[in-house]
Amino acid sequence: MATNAQTMTDTSDTLVSQTAVWKPVVKRSSWEQLKRKIFALATVRRISSVLIFLALWTVVVRFIPNFHQIPPPEQVFLAIFKIKVSVFFFEIFRSLYRVLSGFFLGILIGFPIGVAIGYSRILNYLLFPAVEMVRPIPPIAWIPLSVLFFVNIESQIIFLTFYGAFFPTVYNTVGGISGVDIRLPRAGMSFGVSKAQLLFRIILPAASPQIFAGLKIAIGITWLMVVAAEMIASKGGLGYLIWYNHTVMNYPFVFVGMGTIGVIGALCSVGVDRVGKRFTKWLDIF
Amino acid sequence: MAESATQYGEVIFKDVITLVRLKDTHTVILKDCSMTVEKGKLTVLVGPSGCGKTTVINLIAGYEVPYRGEVLMDGKPIAGPNWERLVVFQEMALFPWLTCYENVVFSPTVRGSMTKEEMHSEAMRLLELVGLKGFEEKYPMQLSGGMQRRAELARALINQPKIMLMDEPFRGLDAMTRELMQEYYLKLFEATKSTNLFVTSEIEEAIFLADKLLVMTNKPTKIKKAFDVDLPRPRDWKMATSPRYRELKAEILELLHEEAIKASVASGKADVDLAAAYERIREARK
Repeated sequence: MATNAQTMTDTSDTLVSQTAVWKPVVKRSSWEQLKRKIFALATVRRISSVLIFLALWTVVVRFIPNFHQIPPPEQVFLAIFKIKVSVFFFEIFRSLYRVLSGFFLGILIGFPIGVAIGYSRILNYLLFPAVEMVRPIPPIAWIPLSVLFFVNIESQIIFLTFYGAFFPTVYNTVGGISGVDIRLPRAGMSFGVSKAQLLFRIILPAASPQIFAGLKIAIGITWLMVVAAEMIASKGGLGYLIWYNHTVMNYPFVFVGMGTIGVIGALCSVGVDRVGKRFTKWLDIF
Repeated sequence: MAESATQYGEVIFKDVITLVRLKDTHTVILKDCSMTVEKGKLTVLVGPSGCGKTTVINLIAGYEVPYRGEVLMDGKPIAGPNWERLVVFQEMALFPWLTCYENVVFSPTVRGSMTKEEMHSEAMRLLELVGLKGFEEKYPMQLSGGMQRRAELARALINQPKIMLMDEPFRGLDAMTRELMQEYYLKLFEATKSTNLFVTSEIEEAIFLADKLLVMTNKPTKIKKAFDVDLPRPRDWKMATSPRYRELKAEILELLHEEAIKASVASGKADVDLAAAYERIREARK
């Protein structure tokens, strides 16, 4: 067996040395390297994708009669410089605060419920039918009820974002746990794990990839909810920014708001992804 | 370990019946199955696929309980999974989120059965024994199939189990690796002489490994015939040319062939004519 392992490392060594031999040894200046990077076909195609999009935007705005109120790309670009930075960032943080409070509340409440449903058969029977009944209702349909639940508008908005995060978290936790290969807990039981160790050392690590997939969906839905809620609540935030500028017909600013939500939403998603990757290091090993 | 391990691990099945419950009916898997797994010996169980070999493993490991009858180890009935009876599963059942080393020390860690130094030196000794020195920090998915199986052996051996249950452990490996693993496993057994139960559907593998060979019938399953494989140890692959080996193989093939035909008739995959034709050929031969 040792020989087997030996040959494996041997072949990899020869492979490495072979590629080292075959690689053309040409020294390039850093400028040349940069030039090669910029004019690489993949980069050119990516840039042209953006350019084509902007061109289409311009053409549509110019030549389709109903679209003449929509600002062309250059107006949106110029609008960025007219932003009052302090106000703008305040709105961003307001939305971000609501999104993150809702998201973490969703995890705080949804994750234990998901674990309970996935882990205990009795709790599954007790909780899951109710969850299953409420889940198909789109979160936005809860807006009127949220007004009944909370007097404080801030609480209403956070409730709605929480609600958006809750079900993806519960669902993917349950799915992750019930999808665990039966041999893993069985092996664990043979190795003498206690009930708590079975959960924390076997079930949860095995389910973690799907749990984090659920959290990624959750953060997306939280952004959806915060924009919808802010548009209705008129209590600041990026959603309200868009809606206000729409009512005063300041369309370039509507676009700026939309773009900001897109960028920050994407950043949130990347953040969740990063944390997830840290917990599931064993998955990306290649 | 070499001396003490041979004293334990005798498993006796007394008229065991197991059922699989379906919606409104049930299938009998084992019926009046009686057998003995002798201590200090390598017992191999061969049978047609789907005949309940894994059920036997699960009963001994404590993952299933018999419907009727008794399963005794060293005179005591088996109650639930325990580190004294460890399974090496079909395909990989290492914990993919732990490194090779962490997998091996998993059981002593959760049980707290060894001091840190003891655990470390024992794990390193075993990893070297199974030819995985230098792969301690690799995740299971970074290892080849043969290496995963050897890591699994090390993970079980660190507990010094009274009986090792091998559930078609080399299935899915390529032919070369499989042969190497068989020789390797045999060396390991010959060195420790602990009690082993090895389940397989391959006759060559069975004869090559076994002290005692049990042939199973098709469902409802019982032991059809027991063979003492009196081929000399230590064995290697030259043994395959010896007359005794071929004699055993022919006899077992005959038994299994009969079962395979019965099975395919029972499942409707072949018509009864085939079985009748087979009977005629047998009559003609006599």
